[in-house]
Amino acid sequence: MAERHSALGAGYTRGPHGKPGEPGVRLQEITGLVLHQVAAWPQTVAQVGNQLAQAIVCTSAPQPGHSATGSYGIALRVEPLKWWLLNTEPPQLSVDSGATLDLSHSRTHIRISGPEAATCLNRLIPIDLRESYFTDGQVASSGFHHVGVTLWRSPTGFDLFVPRGFALSLWEILLETAEQFGLDIS
Amino acid sequence: MTATRLAKGGYIDRDQLLNFTWDGRTLHGHAGDSLASALLASNQQVLGRSFKYHRPRGLMSAGVEESGALVTIGRGDHRDANVRATTQELYAGLVAQGQNAWPSVRFDAGSISNLFGRFLAAGFYYKTFMGLPPFEWGSGTGMWMRYEKIIRKAAGMGEASRSPDPDHYEHAHGYCDVLVVGSGPAGRGAALTAAKAGVDVILVEQEAILGGDTLAQPQAADNLADQIKALKGAGVRIMARTTAFGLYDGGVAGLLERVTDHLAEPPMWMPRQRCWTLRARYTVLATGALERHVAFGNNDRPGIMTANAARVYLNRFAVRAGENIVIATNNDSAYAGAAELAQAGASIQILDARKSIPDAIRAQAADAHAALRTGAAPLMAHGAKGITALDIAGQHAANWREAGKTDCDLLLVSGGWSPVVNLLSHRGVKPVWDADLACFVPGQTNEPLSMAGSAAGIWNDNACLLSGQAAAERAVAHLGGAQGSSAAPAPGGWQGAITPLYEVKVPGRQLKSFVDPQHDVTTEDIRLAHREGYVSVEHLKRYTTLGMATDQGKMGNIIGLALMAEALGKEIPQVGTTTFRPPYTPVSLGALKGRNVGNHFRALRRTPLHEWNLEHGGTMTMAGLWHRPWYFARSGETIGDAYVREAQTVRRTVGLCDVTSLGKIAIQGPDSTELLNRIYSNPFAKLPIGKARYGIMLRDDGFVMDDGTTWHLRESEYFMTTTTAHAGKVMAFLEELLQTRWTDLRVHVTSVSEQWAGVAVAGPKSRQVLESCVENPAAVSDANLPFMGVLETTLKGKVPCRIARISFSGERAFEVYLPSDFCPDIMDALWESARSMNGCLYGLEALGALRIEKGHVTGAELDGRVTIEDAGLGRMASDKKPYIGSALRKRPDMARDNRPRLVGIFPRDRREIFNAGSLLCAPDHIEGYGEGWITAVTHSPALGHWIGLGFISGGHSQWHDKTVVCADPIRKGNTAVEIVSPHMFDPDGERMYG
Repeated sequence: MAERHSALGAGYTRGPHGKPGEPGVRLQEITGLVLHQVAAWPQTVAQVGNQLAQAIVCTSAPQPGHSATGSYGIALRVEPLKWWLLNTEPPQLSVDSGATLDLSHSRTHIRISGPEAATCLNRLIPIDLRESYFTDGQVASSGFHHVGVTLWRSPTGFDLFVPRGFALSLWEILLETAEQFGLDIS
Repeated sequence: MTATRLAKGGYIDRDQLLNFTWDGRTLHGHAGDSLASALLASNQQVLGRSFKYHRPRGLMSAGVEESGALVTIGRGDHRDANVRATTQELYAGLVAQGQNAWPSVRFDAGSISNLFGRFLAAGFYYKTFMGLPPFEWGSGTGMWMRYEKIIRKAAGMGEASRSPDPDHYEHAHGYCDVLVVGSGPAGRGAALTAAKAGVDVILVEQEAILGGDTLAQPQAADNLADQIKALKGAGVRIMARTTAFGLYDGGVAGLLERVTDHLAEPPMWMPRQRCWTLRARYTVLATGALERHVAFGNNDRPGIMTANAARVYLNRFAVRAGENIVIATNNDSAYAGAAELAQAGASIQILDARKSIPDAIRAQAADAHAALRTGAAPLMAHGAKGITALDIAGQHAANWREAGKTDCDLLLVSGGWSPVVNLLSHRGVKPVWDADLACFVPGQTNEPLSMAGSAAGIWNDNACLLSGQAAAERAVAHLGGAQGSSAAPAPGGWQGAITPLYEVKVPGRQLKSFVDPQHDVTTEDIRLAHREGYVSVEHLKRYTTLGMATDQGKMGNIIGLALMAEALGKEIPQVGTTTFRPPYTPVSLGALKGRNVGNHFRALRRTPLHEWNLEHGGTMTMAGLWHRPWYFARSGETIGDAYVREAQTVRRTVGLCDVTSLGKIAIQGPDSTELLNRIYSNPFAKLPIGKARYGIMLRDDGFVMDDGTTWHLRESEYFMTTTTAHAGKVMAFLEELLQTRWTDLRVHVTSVSEQWAGVAVAGPKSRQVLESCVENPAAVSDANLPFMGVLETTLKGKVPCRIARISFSGERAFEVYLPSDFCPDIMDALWESARSMNGCLYGLEALGALRIEKGHVTGAELDGRVTIEDAGLGRMASDKKPYIGSALRKRPDMARDNRPRLVGIFPRDRREIFNAGSLLCAPDHIEGYGEGWITAVTHSPALGHWIGLGFISGGHSQWHDKTVVCADPIRKGNTAVEIVSPHMFDPDGERMYG
């Protein structure tokens, strides 16, 4: 199999950046993204949701704006009729049930963590990230430098899915912004 | 004026001595100083020159309303003009200089204009230089443009650097339940009350330290540090050095945070300023009030400032601003400062315009050992570069008369207070005139917003605190919390009533009395405007420029209104007030732009082959947000050499081109075919699986929206390609159709432009190149992959791919799409194969040449004005089915014969060239819009001369045997051309189909 090349390329410079000391923000690209879109029809949302939950082994498929983590994968409800399935193959759906689509190469997956992660993200993304408003597991679509992105509050921080073509440009802005908090790229 | 730094007191750190430079001289201040307080303590009196008359100006205030001490900070590219010295924090190494003066503000040659001041009244320049002989002599505004340069040079403020701003800025988004603006007694009370009720509070303060008006009071009077500690303990998020400059819909406040403006050596990772979009569920405006001046003779002299300013310099900065001080007031507020200044060693005289004052106030004057004169006011200041004496006016019946003269080195003026209602005004709420308080107070609003403290016209500290608490209780109740029991105190709070005082003048005496010192607007300018017929305050403002300087009328608007009202014989509320608009104080353009500058002006979109293209000699160009390879020059080649070679190579052997930027949309679902059949003008119902079809998509109005190919992959799945330019538009249109018009269709559309990288392999040897790179070479044989055939197969390295045999170049060609992350490796393989066949890499320029030769349209032709017939593709449109645009494309005007039609263009003299954008005209009628236009041009390697595409009325059939002139009046001039078929090379497509 050919090698997968990151969209961040030479822009991904590991190590400390900006303000010295304990980093307030940590950035990491999660490489090898496996991402499938699972889409249902209005009449088959419950059915496809059940298939999805069975596929990743979780109690139920997430509601819009939320996520569910199962033994075999993670599902993010990105639209009323659509889920994104991480780290696993999608369930087999009949044409009358819905459709699946491989989007593994369409996004660059960036994880932002650290005590200042939310503050840093709010320099760029207009979502209320206060813990009581954007709780663990929540998912939102938003704009980052006028580019549509998907944000998920994961167990380890904020996971950002950015369109591959814009990834390096947005990464550069994210890096410049994060330097003021003390940044570590791992 | 003899200012003195006191040995104790104030909020300065005497252990930190900070050297700074003022107009080339090294001075020093302390940490905690403003530039103004440090200059004052250093006895620098003349700090600026006025806008028009170049009159010397000194400190007039201690805050954002400053109109005298406007200075330039920094050197070189970091130069920042028109900075108020009163709001600039001092730091070690700060460099400040006066502006609008030569050689310096202390001696300014431009001050000669003051001698001609009587000729320079409102409207002088317009009356004198515009449209009047001999200056203009009926020749339009040409001469004025010349005068204007000279006038602009003579009058003005600081000069900004013309270099790019070297600092960086950023945007930020914030959220809270309650936003409190201002940290005076009311703001602190509001913030603490709300936070204790459990809501999330942000407290914004424009100064470096919290306190607001409390900082103007002796420290013992208020335990400010404990209060701030309590605020922090209650969880209030405090944003100092941050100005709420605007209030917008939905509880959005615009904030400007000055992050490093106070630092000598800011860390490179910190932005200079941060522009916040803060969203609050409730807003409390405790923005305070500004003390007003009074108009009297030479009221702009250095050494004349507001009474409260002197109190701020005394109690916050430990600087006694003068020794022999006259305080002129019309209200109670100046008396507390009088006592404090006296206690600091100054001798005090008080002129109170009121005839009677309360005993308690009189007692305060006595405590200050002040000589008190009631019914008295300042008439005219003496002194060239600073006040030395003051003519006094005494009240006689309804008029003023001269009433003596007194020496002084500092004159403090309190003409009353104006609540800062600016932010409320941004919400469209008009303030209401309160005749008892002689000021505008906030009007009513239904928004989740309260005014508190002196911003609501409340003058007493305790009442301000209660007002803030009451506002917080309203906020908490609005957010669903408990109802509060506090009642907001009524406006007012002085023991004695204010006597309105806006101007002091005596009959028969000419005075130069300033209303708006920043723009040198005098009382006579206001009266002149009235005499010339201006009755609307909005017209008055524009004619005199009152309130149009950087302070936006903070100093002069009320006085101007009062004078206009007097002239009109009306009351102030009948004259009205100007509407305050954002920003409250100036906001740098850099802060508004944030990080969207330089390479980040727009997000840059790179293909997976971006680095690969660069490594292989590609020169990139922008295509929308995409960076695409433009051409691949070899050593010594120009762009012209390169693209001609590339196009020739494609026609001769094979070329590879990165076409990732084309839009790609996955269309899935049982009704996919029906969707395509409705949106394309040509039939798609019977497109077999494994085949692609070129389609034209119209808008509802019948004009062409976009073109592209759609590949039938499986029974219920298609892969649509669009032009690079219209990818987003097409995607959005499909979503709109499915979500609003055709909700019954079971179709999902998803952009996969980022998922699939694309490479065009074009030329006679393209099939051989592909054969060498796929795992099963037989899969791409002519039989298995004929023209418009589609194949899903595997490239070497087990990389899945989609291939269609389609051609934009007119050659045998394939478009190969593969998962983006794999693309660089696959491109290596494709290039190795193509290079072995003497192939080339080609870019947009060669792509353009190839498609122009073939007459293939792009966004240059499909510009929104073109019908399918105009583009020469009318035969594709179906008459057997309805589709988007099918009804309106048959409107009479869309079908008329003489519409501009797509044509090819040759120069009549084949050695000539012509430009895109030129007009096509009949030889005897070269004017107006002509008969058509040229959309694209190139040297045709295949034909050996210059060619173009364009549109001309009636098309090829109307013009093929006639000479046409290509008119290009501002570039190349006229060129004789001939109109040919747009299919200029291989019109039958033998190379493409073969």
